[in-house]
Amino acid sequence: MDPIDRRSFLKSLTAATGAAFLCIPAARAAQPKARVVVVGGGFGGASVAKYLRLLDAGIEVTLVERATRYTSCPLSNEVISHSRDIQSLQTGYERLARRGVRIVHGEVVGVDPAGKKVSLADGKSLDYDALVVSPGVDFNYGAVAGLTPEISETRLPHAWKAGAQTLLLRKQLAAMPDGGRFIIAVPKGPFRCPPGPYERAAQVAMYCKHHGKKKAKVLILDANDSFSKRPLFEQAWKELYGYGPNGMIEWVAGASGGAVEEVDADAMTCRTTFDEFKADVLNVIPPHHAGKIAKTAGLVNSGVWCAVRPDNMESTAHKDIYVIGDACAGGDLASNNPFPKSAHMANSQAKVVAASLVAKLNGLPPPVPVYTNTCYSVVAHDWGFSVVHLYRVEGNTWVYVKEGSGISPVTIGSGKDAKPVSRLHRKIEAQYAAGWLDNLMTDAFG
Amino acid sequence: MRHTILSLALALLSAPTLAALDIEPLARTCNGCHGVGGVSVAAPIPSIGGLPKAYLKRVMKQWKYGERTSITMDRIVKGFSDDQIDALAEYFARQPWVPTPQPAAEAVLAKGKAAAGDTCRDCHGLTGNDPDVDAPLLNGQWAQYLELELMKYRSNEFKMPHRKMKKAARDMKPDDVSAAARYYGAQGK
Repeated sequence: MDPIDRRSFLKSLTAATGAAFLCIPAARAAQPKARVVVVGGGFGGASVAKYLRLLDAGIEVTLVERATRYTSCPLSNEVISHSRDIQSLQTGYERLARRGVRIVHGEVVGVDPAGKKVSLADGKSLDYDALVVSPGVDFNYGAVAGLTPEISETRLPHAWKAGAQTLLLRKQLAAMPDGGRFIIAVPKGPFRCPPGPYERAAQVAMYCKHHGKKKAKVLILDANDSFSKRPLFEQAWKELYGYGPNGMIEWVAGASGGAVEEVDADAMTCRTTFDEFKADVLNVIPPHHAGKIAKTAGLVNSGVWCAVRPDNMESTAHKDIYVIGDACAGGDLASNNPFPKSAHMANSQAKVVAASLVAKLNGLPPPVPVYTNTCYSVVAHDWGFSVVHLYRVEGNTWVYVKEGSGISPVTIGSGKDAKPVSRLHRKIEAQYAAGWLDNLMTDAFG
Repeated sequence: MRHTILSLALALLSAPTLAALDIEPLARTCNGCHGVGGVSVAAPIPSIGGLPKAYLKRVMKQWKYGERTSITMDRIVKGFSDDQIDALAEYFARQPWVPTPQPAAEAVLAKGKAAAGDTCRDCHGLTGNDPDVDAPLLNGQWAQYLELELMKYRSNEFKMPHRKMKKAARDMKPDDVSAAARYYGAQGK
């Protein structure tokens, strides 16, 4: 093939509909050109399964996921504040199945990188030519004395995986008396959804303000010294709910003793380096690490995360295994701009893996990878803002593209000429947030 | 001999060059917010697949060079080269326009049709499917998005450089803005 032919072949291959490949006769389709197994059916796993099938229907894709329904973490803070039904964040895997993805509801308990095989809890196993691991995060409960998985499930919910704990926290907020104290304990980063705890504080404050709890306090005890979208959050907190010792929302940095080291579920207290705090609702988010199967498979090789290659997200520990989503460590580490652990980032990584695998399996030149993230936070029904990230790959390292990244404006203009951003701007962004979630869910699961 | 070396050199050069210009991986990143093929399923976010190339190019470059205010896109496009913007515009213009007709009350549709006939028809066509070469299609575009966009045109807080559009949007009565958005949102092919 000369380069022009390769080019036109690649174009037909990557046509949005994948129509060229849907024409493959059934007899040939019965013998797949490759078998790809995807572990984990969150935003990352669902997106990679879908895009593999879109780009080349000759690839057999099997998605292994424990649950039959998925609940989106993005915008689940709106469930806690009674602004949104949890059903609006849920989806099944039927649409992926209709695209020809084989859905296996089970649990992967072992990976054999040499034999290219994964084993399932029910004793079955699956052979693969390529394996994509998208396990999300698990929690290190032991890092907080007095905390156990059982206590999180029943009394001190972290609600950091949307589902039953989200609903428990919603109930606890509704039952909190006026003048009550809602504590959010934020673990040392990196953690899933960097702006999440601060959006949650705003959503809780919004609920209190409009539901007869104007004397409530939302106290953020933070193991870190700063946070995502900070100037935007602080501006909104101040304007909407009051911020600081006399406001509804208060934030204690790690350097000021914000790191929670111990909890007492009976006394409803938590202890930091310097102080003890009593709470009416205690929302303790434990530190994270890569989902358990990543460790079992020997993929954890960068602290508690999985290092991957910048050009295609392949594990640096094992060949033909790709790690995407919250479990991976990637991005421009040199300039202190790692990949944020977000749904949109996982979706973007999934597209890079799908395109790279399809090119490789068809003997085509590797595509040029690009990674993007757009992440909205909603601090009131009519007030939202966002951050965008853009990464390119140069010389086999990630480069954070500053010009194509950044947060919503804090002010219009700067210095003496700075003017406030209009409420219309914030209102439009709150509406975009809802639209972003619907399109992202459809891009991954639809 | 010289000829052979030249074609060999060209072949070597063209492979990576062509790869670098392959816009589809970048275009695919747009799907996260705008839908596969630029067909949005969410009312606040516009469908972009099938919009005129000239329109897509112009707005993206206006955002990039600070001539037009956006909410999110003006930050995103600043990371793209002009060539990438042109290629993205071409890519999305090549996709089919898929209207999403949204139901609206009869009275709203009648009011919206009258407003559209008075104000919008000249550039966008009465049903929104016959626009000027550089104006966007409106038939079956999301009404909520259209209304938000019209609010930007009517506000002094946003830099919206299209003078004719700005004047048209500001001359409309507030009720007519919403009705016209719903009317166009209700149109099919």
